[in-house]
Amino acid sequence: MVSVMVVDDHPMWRDAVERDLQAAGHEVVAVASNGREAMARFPAAAPQVVVLDLQLPDSSGVQVTSMMLEHDPTARVLILSASGEQADVLEAIKAGATGYLVKSASSAELIDAVVRTADGEAVFTPGLAGLVLGEFRRIADGPADDPRDQLTERETEILKMVATGMSYKQIAARLVLSHRTVQNHVQNTLRKLQMNNRVQLTRWAIEHGLDEA
Amino acid sequence: MVGLNAYRRDNFEHPTVGLLVVVVLALWTVTAIWLYRDRRRRTPLLLVADLAVVLAALAVTPWVKSPDFNATIPGFYVMGVFFAWAIHWHWRGGLVASALIAAFDLLPRTEVDQGNYGNTFLVLIGGPIVGYLCESLQRMARERDAAERAAAAADERTRLARAVHDGVLQVLAMVQRQGSAAGGEWAELGRLAGEQERGLRSLIRQQDTVPTEPGGRVDLAGALEAMATAHPVRVEVATPGGAVLVDAHVAAETVAAVRACLDNVLAHVGPDATAWVLAQAAPEAITVSVRDDGPGIPSGRLDAAASEGRLGVASSIRGRIEELGGTATVDSGEWGTEWELTVPLA
Repeated sequence: MVSVMVVDDHPMWRDAVERDLQAAGHEVVAVASNGREAMARFPAAAPQVVVLDLQLPDSSGVQVTSMMLEHDPTARVLILSASGEQADVLEAIKAGATGYLVKSASSAELIDAVVRTADGEAVFTPGLAGLVLGEFRRIADGPADDPRDQLTERETEILKMVATGMSYKQIAARLVLSHRTVQNHVQNTLRKLQMNNRVQLTRWAIEHGLDEA
Repeated sequence: MVGLNAYRRDNFEHPTVGLLVVVVLALWTVTAIWLYRDRRRRTPLLLVADLAVVLAALAVTPWVKSPDFNATIPGFYVMGVFFAWAIHWHWRGGLVASALIAAFDLLPRTEVDQGNYGNTFLVLIGGPIVGYLCESLQRMARERDAAERAAAAADERTRLARAVHDGVLQVLAMVQRQGSAAGGEWAELGRLAGEQERGLRSLIRQQDTVPTEPGGRVDLAGALEAMATAHPVRVEVATPGGAVLVDAHVAAETVAAVRACLDNVLAHVGPDATAWVLAQAAPEAITVSVRDDGPGIPSGRLDAAASEGRLGVASSIRGRIEELGGTATVDSGEWGTEWELTVPLA
């Protein structure tokens, strides 16, 4: 059983997601319809997984993601978005969300994603894998950075397979690796992306003299 | 001007009249400044009156001073009305005002020296140029205002479109979800909603990646997205995010090759197949991967087909990519068939 918080401004959606999760035996410990409510209820509810819509009326899902992770770094955020605004999705992942799902996913896919997110697995769609590959390409083409920021060949290979719709199981079989190893590689790519984002933010803060405050 | 004329009052044959003219000019200056301040009072009548005052002051100079005077009473005071005309009526106004001032300055003189000639020349050339510059500045300001208004309107439209799209996508996703859960006819409705949802999302992404760069370069990611949405096979497109700008010819050939891959999927796997297209862009090359979830090509079949000289689709894919100086490789297994097309960007 996973304790879940659902943040979405469409009541119809919130109810549907809540119903599906409860039917699958999970507990919905809190719901919120905007960023303010979400931040007010998040500390007390302490959910294992937050299912978060990217478009909220008062703040962006990106802001909510970083505020939640600042408050509780062990929190897991699964982005559930209708429109697939590419830039927003990438920003939310860089801010620390570990999963992304489009709203047209079936309820079985949603429940599977919530369980996997709670287990600490990274939930990728092919579209997200393509964006992450593109982002690492931009990092690689930028000013020379820490080689630890770059993807290894294996990680790139696996992300490419995720981006062409292969499941972790299929990838494991094709590369003759264990399922766990494939998962670790995918998680590593997210960790590197989030790390790079923090490094960039810190560098920006130092350049702008914000560290002296 | 008042001080200068007072200092040189010995030059005047009629000092009292000269003083009067100078005082009138000073009063007129104060009045004109007040009149010009308000846009509604800046009428042609005011400009004509302003010029008339100056021309009158010029015209009375030979009588008030002496027929062989050196400087006119207003002197460089004429510049005020000259600029007013240039600003208001642009180069035409500048030309008319400068021509009249030059004529009224030169005609009463008994002799024209180098200095008079130089001043007249500057006035005549300055009028139209200042007028022309004012015109350009005013036009640029108008164009900038129009561009700012257009940009603001476009931003607002985009914002509204986002809100509308988000709402529509929510509903389509909902219909798809509930429909497939309810089964029967509802499932069909759900499937249709799913198709529309994918189409709309793809359109929004294409709109986000509209190329801004001129010179025959087009966005490959958007072009792939558009082609894939229209293709009968269910296709998911993954792009690096943002526009991938390449030459129009490269984009057209690459899209055609990817379409051939998808046609192949339709022919060999069937209409229920799903395909994935991944576009990657590096500074030196673009790579497009196309994978399907079919049973794969039995090993040796491609080679056998090649030796029998009937390669069909595979050769059309290879041909297009090799024409661009790139490579096309195919790999197959239990996980399906995957084409990888790499095109150098030279």
